Amino acid sequence: MEVKDLAVSFQTYFGEVEAVRGVSFYVDRGETVALVGESGCGKSVTANSIMQLLPVPPAFYKRGQIFFEGEDLLQKSEKEMQKIRGNKISMIFQDPMTSLNPTMKVGKQIVEGIIKHQKLSKDEAKKKAIEMLDLVAVPQPEKRVNQYPHEFSGGMRQRVMIALAMVSNPELLIADEPTTALDVTVQAQILDLMKQIQRKYGTSIILITHDLGVVADMSDRVIVMYGGMLMEEGTSYEIFKNPKHPYTRKLLDSVPRLDMDRSESLHSIAGTPPDLYKPPKGCPFFERCDEAMVICKDHMPEKEYHTDTHYSLCWLNHPMAKGATEGSGI
Amino acid sequence: MVEPLISVRNIKKYFDVGKGKTLKAVDGISFDIYPGETFGLVGESGCGKSTAGRTIIRLYEPTDGEVYFNGENIYKLSRSEMNRVRRDFQMIFQDPYASLNPRMPVEDIIAEPLDIHKAYKSQKERRDRVIELLKLVGLNEEHAQRFPHEFSGGQRQRIGIARALALNPKFIVCDEPISALDVSIQAQIVNLLKELQKDFGLTYLFIAHDLSMVRYISDRVGVMYLGHMMELATSEELYSEPIHPYTQALLSAIPIPDPEIQRNRQRIILEGDVPSPIDPKENCRFVDRCRFATDRCRMEIPEFREIKKDHFVACHRAEEILKGNIS
Repeated sequence: MEVKDLAVSFQTYFGEVEAVRGVSFYVDRGETVALVGESGCGKSVTANSIMQLLPVPPAFYKRGQIFFEGEDLLQKSEKEMQKIRGNKISMIFQDPMTSLNPTMKVGKQIVEGIIKHQKLSKDEAKKKAIEMLDLVAVPQPEKRVNQYPHEFSGGMRQRVMIALAMVSNPELLIADEPTTALDVTVQAQILDLMKQIQRKYGTSIILITHDLGVVADMSDRVIVMYGGMLMEEGTSYEIFKNPKHPYTRKLLDSVPRLDMDRSESLHSIAGTPPDLYKPPKGCPFFERCDEAMVICKDHMPEKEYHTDTHYSLCWLNHPMAKGATEGSGI
Repeated sequence: MVEPLISVRNIKKYFDVGKGKTLKAVDGISFDIYPGETFGLVGESGCGKSTAGRTIIRLYEPTDGEVYFNGENIYKLSRSEMNRVRRDFQMIFQDPYASLNPRMPVEDIIAEPLDIHKAYKSQKERRDRVIELLKLVGLNEEHAQRFPHEFSGGQRQRIGIARALALNPKFIVCDEPISALDVSIQAQIVNLLKELQKDFGLTYLFIAHDLSMVRYISDRVGVMYLGHMMELATSEELYSEPIHPYTQALLSAIPIPDPEIQRNRQRIILEGDVPSPIDPKENCRFVDRCRFATDRCRMEIPEFREIKKDHFVACHRAEEILKGNIS
């Protein structure tokens, strides 16, 4: 899967909101890529664009391509997309209660998903549904298959969502904040389950989250987003051990860690993210950046590669900016 | 020896859920909170931590128990006597969108406690106090006439804090004050709370499910599970040497934002879910998910006892775990 220069905007009463402004990345087979950032950074819009789940209008795709198995998903008709959604690409959402149908038995919802994409009889599909529930470790699947979503706990519902997403053995699984609504002990169970399934089927995962702990646990590569743009990308180790963008560094410093000294102070980032009605011309992080320089205000930096897998978009990392050090900002 | 500011003794809060069933949200917890400290209360959803916080300051009428504040049992006070004590207690809520009246300008929101307790002599005094409070929390005079919807989540939480400070309280219950905020904003609010604590000698009960944040802000931490207190110790000790099997599992489940450490950790993954708090059995509440459970754990509720200095645990096998006989 490869996203090339994707730009998505929303037409609103007050004008255009440029939610995603030129985002490019790829996902290889069997790997987990995390999209990280704060609310409104464009991570969910990016994911929903891949599935084309955004309502058009108000949303519109300004430019870009999303290649999946060599074909541009943005050129596909709704009918063609329906064959891909839930089949080759699946998605799980943050809140399993609102994404399952409350009036329908869990088994029937899974059976529907199976029959839509696979030529199986109803009985065969039901058998498969029970197998899927068993796969995601729902106890007593024969009994649970005939229950409604409200009879499941939050963690169990998320397991059902994963079962539903995995019925057609998708190539790509998009997980949008899959554990944000869950307690930590249940979160650990679900993350464990996702890893097992990935090992078994070689599924690629795009993980969208704001929880850096979950990112460290799950992902091979990390993409940091801010103000609708990519700020930095690298392997998990590169991003956590050697962050090159001031925003990434600040983000990592602002979360308390279990192994940190309590007398260390927590670094907060002053201010709030930019308004995407009128996105800044230059670097979106300019207003909140301690190390900002004059050029950052009106000019967006280019990608600067640190290794083959690690790049950042920051003027500080420009080869000509070697003299710039911390505190030399304006 | 410092006297505790608040002493909580065996408090219970039951809710009648119909059909003769009782939801035991808080089922007999006891602890002390000392002046100027931050006491963290952690646990997963439904463990009763928020109910405990609200019952302690008598926002909920308790089912049983005693809470001593300045040596006085506040559960015994009449309504008017309680109003007098209320000035010293304040609360900061989780959802800054739901806890501010959308039809009131910020000035009136912050001044509401002053209005209720008639804490000013003139309109000018009221306004000056509001401006002073706005500045304290990092906002300014111009914000006074605006309405809540004009503010971001972090700013709204600042307004909530200003309101809580209006009457110079001694004790503030912070119920998940940062859970709804982005990480970079969380740090701003936590730093603000710490500063205010230092400047005004405030005492906090900090309720949260984010264990890393609780460790960072709290001096001592209590861990709740299904209405019971399972373990209580200083922040350092609880996180470095947890004794209760539940605390151990809870801590090992938190992902650490460092791939090297996170991927090489030994983790305890709990089976199943938290059971229902409706008519729970009279045994250890954690027994069904505990890896050390014995028959005794299924028969009787373990006593919450001091197992080493300032470290309390409710587990029949705490001594064995402490000695390292089982792990």
